[in-house]
Amino acid sequence: MTSLGDRILGLALFVLAVTYGWVAQQWPPPFGGHEAVGPETFPTILAVILAGSSLYLMFKPDPDANWPVGRTAGELVAAMVILVLYAFVLERLGFVIATTLAVGSLCWRMGAKPKMAFLIGLISAVSVFLLFNNLLELSLPGGLLEFD
Amino acid sequence: METLQFLMEGFAVALTPTNLLLALCGAFLGTLIGALPGLGPANGVAILIPLAFTLGLPPESAMILLTSVYAGAMYGGRISSILLNIPGDEPAMMTCLDGYPMAKNGKAAEALAVSAIASFIGGLIGTIGLILLAPILARFALTFGPAEYFALFVLAFATLGGITGKNPMKTVVAATLGIMISTVGIDISTGTQRYTFGVLELYEGIDFILAIVGLFAISELLLFIEERAGKGRALIQVGKLKLSMKDIYSILPTTFRGGILGFVAGVLPGAGASLGSFIAYTLEKKALGKKGRFGEGDMRGVAAPEAGNNGASSGALVPMLTLGVPGSGTTAVLLAMLISLNITPGPLMFTQNADIVWGVIAALLIGNLLLLVLNIPMIGVFVKVLSVPPMYLLPMVTMIAFVGIYSISHSTFDLYFMVAFGVAGYILRKLEMPLVPIILGMLLGPEMEKNLGHAMIISDGNWGILWGTPLAVGLWLVAGLGLILPYLIGPILRHRMRNAIKEDAVSD
Repeated sequence: MTSLGDRILGLALFVLAVTYGWVAQQWPPPFGGHEAVGPETFPTILAVILAGSSLYLMFKPDPDANWPVGRTAGELVAAMVILVLYAFVLERLGFVIATTLAVGSLCWRMGAKPKMAFLIGLISAVSVFLLFNNLLELSLPGGLLEFD
Repeated sequence: METLQFLMEGFAVALTPTNLLLALCGAFLGTLIGALPGLGPANGVAILIPLAFTLGLPPESAMILLTSVYAGAMYGGRISSILLNIPGDEPAMMTCLDGYPMAKNGKAAEALAVSAIASFIGGLIGTIGLILLAPILARFALTFGPAEYFALFVLAFATLGGITGKNPMKTVVAATLGIMISTVGIDISTGTQRYTFGVLELYEGIDFILAIVGLFAISELLLFIEERAGKGRALIQVGKLKLSMKDIYSILPTTFRGGILGFVAGVLPGAGASLGSFIAYTLEKKALGKKGRFGEGDMRGVAAPEAGNNGASSGALVPMLTLGVPGSGTTAVLLAMLISLNITPGPLMFTQNADIVWGVIAALLIGNLLLLVLNIPMIGVFVKVLSVPPMYLLPMVTMIAFVGIYSISHSTFDLYFMVAFGVAGYILRKLEMPLVPIILGMLLGPEMEKNLGHAMIISDGNWGILWGTPLAVGLWLVAGLGLILPYLIGPILRHRMRNAIKEDAVSD
């Protein structure tokens, strides 16, 4: 059993702690003179705690989890891309089209038959859109389907 | 009998038609959420927050909705424990031990009914405990100064992992990360821009609601994709219910003991619902000895942990409502709702927002009753829901998460942020980093800093004030124990819990 995961995490957190602490020291003293607790005091304490505990992680790591490899990793990356794209096209294409595509492709990638997946996507998109825009009066973007 | 009068006022709030309807919807939704695969209580409450928020509900109604969801999710969690041998959430783990064997012996309906009754009584005991204890604790908490509060927050983080937690150092890391995220934005007391890097969207800080939804809901989707668990599982048939009054009488003593033990475990820092149901189960097993057939489908083996975990879930509300310090993931999410409704949790809430506090408590009582009424006849519906394959369910949950976050701010920037939190949540979960301390850090960070500042102003810059009173020293000591005990007795307890489960798996 290796424990590379925790070591890398520990290292990354250590770097974060040092940067976070360093940035805090750069702020100009607040207007109106220096007090016992300035804007940098609390972040400095946090940086010290994080630095200490990340060192501990590096030296006493837990055994590694099984990280996905090959196809599963590909699927995961695909899902993340779908999520980012969903956010990207939501206002451009409008809620219904964006949601049909996003929910459909996610269902499909999780194992549903493509036709069924996109049908479910369409149904859920339309029903949520109607529910929100008409019943609850919260506006979701109409996008391409907006006529007026 | 001031309490009784307040409680009556609470009922007046909770029994208005709108709130009663919300409690009913909440209880129903909560049970669904608890029963659905891949949607734990914390997760479910989290995705409902943005919705409750955008619906523009008044604070007491929003809280009533979410507390009913919370209570309902505790009920729903047992359904998959009993029928699938998969606990819906951690506290429901002990219910598997006797619930699943009962279901395999063709007594699924009885097991579900027994667990519903036990949940009801456990929840009732817990809520009564809450009514008795909370005002006393709130009055006591009024004597806390800023130094004590600071120590109390540290205690909350230190004990969050629980005595059974695996690696307390990871809790420390997670909590620190959460507090660090909370420092982003313009500093309230001095106006200094901290970690904004000139990005306009960061000036107001990072909204914890989108962090919660991202960390919980989106990471769950990614975990399911990784495990390829999209297809769902085969269910055990639920037959006709044959439960006599004699059966119900026979589980009553067990249920009462379990409920009380659970409540105590829920109130205490660091114990929580999982330990509550574990203690309730093991003590019952010991107490009955040879008379019980635990592990082979004993009804009392279902009743004890269920009463324990529902007692604990009400108990966990005590520190949340009186001190503003939640003891579990779901109560942390409820706290997030309170803060975003601009209500400062803590002892003052009992005087300043009495209608909300007592409305919520009354809603818990009503919710428990509604849940019992819902659960016995409608169990078939919930069982059907259980067979919804996650491959359809989780994408829809993701959509609801997107809708919720989008409708708060109408900004796609927030959606990217939520996805980023989801990916981070997935990686952290793989690294066995607990997520709840991150959330709690984001929630309590600003309060912690404020109290530190106040303490320093009082003492004129002398750090000694932080441990200047006996009460503060006591709180620091408990916090220290919270971090050290998992190393000392954690392995033993975890070993026992695992053994209890293994033993039963063999006799299965």
